[in-house]
Amino acid sequence: MIEWPALLKLAVGIGVALSVVNVNAQWPLREDPGLPRDAKGTVRMDAPTPRTADGKPDFSGVWMRAESGPPKEGRGGGGGGGIDIPVERFPYDPKGPPVATFFEAGGNMAGGLPYTPWAAELRKARLAVNARDNPDAMCLPMGFLQFHQQPQPRMIVQTRTMILIEYEANSGIRHIYLDGRPLPPQGEPQPWWYGYSVGRWEGDTLVVETNNLRGAEDGPHDGWLDVNGSPYTRQARFTERIRRPTFGHLQIDLTVEDAKAYTKPWTVRVDQRILPGHELIEAICNENQQFRQRIKID
Amino acid sequence: MTTRNSFVTVLAGAVMAVVPVIAHHSFSAEFDATKEIKATGKVTTLEWTNPHAWFHVDISEICEGPAESEKNKTWKCANASGAQPVDWAFELASPNGLMRLGWSRNSLKNGEVVTVEGTRAKDGSRKGNARSVVVNGKRLFAGSSQASTP
Repeated sequence: MIEWPALLKLAVGIGVALSVVNVNAQWPLREDPGLPRDAKGTVRMDAPTPRTADGKPDFSGVWMRAESGPPKEGRGGGGGGGIDIPVERFPYDPKGPPVATFFEAGGNMAGGLPYTPWAAELRKARLAVNARDNPDAMCLPMGFLQFHQQPQPRMIVQTRTMILIEYEANSGIRHIYLDGRPLPPQGEPQPWWYGYSVGRWEGDTLVVETNNLRGAEDGPHDGWLDVNGSPYTRQARFTERIRRPTFGHLQIDLTVEDAKAYTKPWTVRVDQRILPGHELIEAICNENQQFRQRIKID
Repeated sequence: MTTRNSFVTVLAGAVMAVVPVIAHHSFSAEFDATKEIKATGKVTTLEWTNPHAWFHVDISEICEGPAESEKNKTWKCANASGAQPVDWAFELASPNGLMRLGWSRNSLKNGEVVTVEGTRAKDGSRKGNARSVVVNGKRLFAGSSQASTP
């Protein structure tokens, strides 16, 4: 977990640097009095997994990205926004799947992702223009890995029959049905940006399967799995195995099956940590989007 | 302020700061990370909009940084004194990210003298991506997308 002396040093350093502007914080924390705390009042990130009334792990909460990648190799985060803040680390599990990085789904995978020649070409073309067609730049929904690792937080709301994930980034929203319905056939309903997701419990792991995604065939902003444009196609099928091993830790193992874009299925891991007291802030991305006009491509 | 309150403020600062800021558009499509700039002037407008806030400054002095590879790091500054101040526009993070860094839509007031540090637009226009803004001796971090997008 966290090394407290290091965290404290970081906290003091940053606090001193920013206290001048944080005295009148513009978005105050609102901590739930029911949070698990130690004797000193600190929220216990290693407290037991919260559970729903029917005994399932409860993923509800506001989460930010974290990482558990191998030390000093690929970074899961990136993007301190002008402040060099390390993303919080959970212990590295060398037996687990490679940890995705924000820019590169295969950033910690030996040899990188198993692209087909078609996918490798497409990704190269996307990068050749500085990834300017990334859906994020157009205020459009991002691929799951980019959403899972976005620096902006996301809120999970879990009921007995569904999970809602609201992403602060671009006001994204995902529905995952838990009522036992099967995945619909491909093409029915019409494929969506977020696809069609159903989840089932395997012990304390929620297994979420998604199909009916719009893919890279649908347009320049479609089928971007990560920031650098690793593609997925209309035939993609995603399986997310989601666990909450402790109060503070959410772990998502994503498997991608997409024979048009990848020569074999592959799996990567994403970690998130709870943000006690935080709420999402409205972010209406399209309010004044002028990126493409500014770089003179529209 | 009591010691306990200071400590709470410090911790709150840390908690806010570790919510990283905004990756939005492709930084490198629009800005050149190797062209550092530092500019001083008076704020004329703050556009508090998504997906990025922008502010305009009537620049009285602009300095261009050395290339990363140059060992002798000296800034080349040009002073606009005697001439008309020149309008520059600087990009910030989006309002949600800025709010977590302690900003509000009133953080920059028209007429205030600021020093902006950041990087210049690729197309050579009078635009930049701000990393920080010093106003009244206080440094506000701008949540630049430089480190978080390609």
